[in-house]
Amino acid sequence: MDDPLADLQNPAPNTHDLFLFLASTAHDMKNSISVLSGTLERLLVDASPKTESAYPQMAHMLYQTKRLNDNLMQLLALYKQVGKPEYPFDVQPLELGQLVEQVVAIERVLLKSRGIRLELDYDPRLIWHFDEDLVVGVLSHAINNAIHYTCDTVRLAIREAGGWLELRVEDNGPGYPPALLKAGAIATREVAGGVNFLTNSAGLGLYFSSEVAKMHRHRGRSGSLRLENGGAYGGGCFILRLP
Amino acid sequence: MNEAVVADQVDWAGKNYLIVDDFVGVRQLLRESLRSLGARNIDQASSGGEAMGLLARIRYDVVLCDYNLGEGKNGQQVLEEARVRNLINPSTMWLMVSAEKSVESVMGAAEHQPDAYLIKPITEGVLLTRLNRVWHKKQVFRTIDQACAEKDYLRAARLCDEQIEANRVHELDLLRMKARLMEKSGQPSRAREVYEQVLEQREYQWARAGLAKIRMANGEFEQARQIFQGVIAENRYYLDAYDQLAAAYQNMGRFEEACAILERAAKLSPNSVPRQRSLGNIALKLGNVQMAEKAFRKCIAIGEYSIMKTPDAYFGLARVCGQKNDPKEALQLLAAAQREFAGEHPDMQLRAKITEGLVYHESGDYRRARKAGDELEEILKLTMERPDTATCLELATLLFAVGVKEAPVELLCYVIRNNHDNPLLLEEVQAIFDKARMGEEGLALVRASKKEASDLMNQGVLLWKTGKLAEAVEWMRNARQAVPNNQRILFNAAQIMVSHMQQHGHDERLHAEACEVLHHVDRLLPGQQRFAQLIEQLAQLQPTP
Repeated sequence: MDDPLADLQNPAPNTHDLFLFLASTAHDMKNSISVLSGTLERLLVDASPKTESAYPQMAHMLYQTKRLNDNLMQLLALYKQVGKPEYPFDVQPLELGQLVEQVVAIERVLLKSRGIRLELDYDPRLIWHFDEDLVVGVLSHAINNAIHYTCDTVRLAIREAGGWLELRVEDNGPGYPPALLKAGAIATREVAGGVNFLTNSAGLGLYFSSEVAKMHRHRGRSGSLRLENGGAYGGGCFILRLP
Repeated sequence: MNEAVVADQVDWAGKNYLIVDDFVGVRQLLRESLRSLGARNIDQASSGGEAMGLLARIRYDVVLCDYNLGEGKNGQQVLEEARVRNLINPSTMWLMVSAEKSVESVMGAAEHQPDAYLIKPITEGVLLTRLNRVWHKKQVFRTIDQACAEKDYLRAARLCDEQIEANRVHELDLLRMKARLMEKSGQPSRAREVYEQVLEQREYQWARAGLAKIRMANGEFEQARQIFQGVIAENRYYLDAYDQLAAAYQNMGRFEEACAILERAAKLSPNSVPRQRSLGNIALKLGNVQMAEKAFRKCIAIGEYSIMKTPDAYFGLARVCGQKNDPKEALQLLAAAQREFAGEHPDMQLRAKITEGLVYHESGDYRRARKAGDELEEILKLTMERPDTATCLELATLLFAVGVKEAPVELLCYVIRNNHDNPLLLEEVQAIFDKARMGEEGLALVRASKKEASDLMNQGVLLWKTGKLAEAVEWMRNARQAVPNNQRILFNAAQIMVSHMQQHGHDERLHAEACEVLHHVDRLLPGQQRFAQLIEQLAQLQPTP
């Protein structure tokens, strides 16, 4: 039989039931997180540190809610086998202006509440081809992470170079600790299975981001992820490259 | 044109909004977000049924609809029904909301896509950026959609070219639209050029699949098969490619493989009425009664909440019941089909009776099968109208099989008169005559019917060519009455009316008549070049207001 689909194993029936159950539970959790982060954002927009004594705690709650959402989004994507043909991968052309607008819309309230400045450096008219939801997920996760490491500034810089789109999330903190840089190197290796999720809490996000990078392929090249210290402010740099 | 400036001009406050979500917390959150945009008119629904009720009464500018709505219709079914029943305007912005990346967004089906998919959580800022983006895209496509609604595909394609110049960011969407328009106007080679142009930029599966569809239309089934398999290997959820691949296998006579592919697609996305129907039909054809039964039952179950529901599933399941020697359930299904669908399908009674005859015939009850045949003959005598070609052939086959003679001969002659230049169909009709042991008689009947139609047409064309335009128009009007579904006659009739107006000036009644004829022929067989050309010529004849 020359049918390349024929050798696909049929999932066991109970796997399907389990999937439906997990999907509906995830749906419910997403609803709760939506309400949680939406309510917190609304409260924070209407308040200021001067009028609201619990302002810093509320800002921290929003930060933790975002982490929760990032983790759930990454788990769902991994469950749907991001990086494999099984994932509903959806590449579309998009202006960088629209991409950045989206990321800024997601991060605006959190950044403001934590007193962190977001510096942008990109050409809004440049058009690139990628899965918007996945890349927005990777970038907002990287920014949430940078909020944790930075002093007071996060920089999102995007530029085209030699047929690649390089998206950098940099901060002006003391830089990533060696353990994280090492985890980054392992998670982004070409061969899969290099992540130790049990000992490294950052592993999930890195693994997800690197799978997203690799999924983007064009003319024999595929995307990549890199962590380093340096950049415009000498802090941590999260670098996503897409063909 | 600066997009930010344009977006600022949108009057979000004055629009009508509908929020559909089964979770009250999310509805409140979205309502608050919309209120901060200044929105005043916001309706809410907690289920698909409730949403349909509101959509039937009120024209909304923006619909935010969750995909998962619990029991009943899902978001996609609400969208489909709203579109099919014309409850929303082309300008209505439909944003589908879901908890995670939805498979539906990459299935590749062209019809009934929302304007955007949003993933939860949706904060105020995200909502506004996406609304602005959808609004801008709607403006780019506004005139194109208008031309499409008028079926002036060639004008729509020219508008695509104009918009590409002004809006590079929508270039791919515009090219995709243009390719589809070229297909609809019967110019596959120009559609192919567009797909190739896209593939030079990036490997887009829809463009690859588009090339394969053109190959298939060209009869290159093996090449089409290979491309579709490649598309599926790249993207397991590109379900449109499965349906096309199954069609390619069917065209090659490889029904087992076609059935296997549809079965896989139905596993990945079980809630498609047309796919379950195709699976049921092909399983029935293969004699896989068990699989056919499963598919038809599923098709009926999901059809309960879907505007796409079809009587075919009931007829198919009735045949299955007949083959399982359960004519009782078969008859119940046929009664149910007539109850459910009599409104929108005028030939329901006839089709149900045909299936009844088939059920009895297949279960060996020849007496009752003959009785159904006699009843069918009576139904046919009541009206001059005949069902579509496939039903005519099925009916003629059944009538011969149960021993009725005159009615099937009349039906087959009718089919020939209306398709006198379709050699494949002529062969099929001849085969039915042969099977009824009427080979010689059939040959003479086919020849006579063919001549009758071509004489009718040739006389009209002769009048036209010799400049007797008014007489030609009148002749073709009568010809259409004698042979209502003959495409060549219909196209020539429209052509002669266009000529008449080109020479003697615009005439509103003639214009309307030509339009009616063209839309009738487009329903019979969509996607013909002559249709697109004549519609364009008609539009150009319209005096500018």
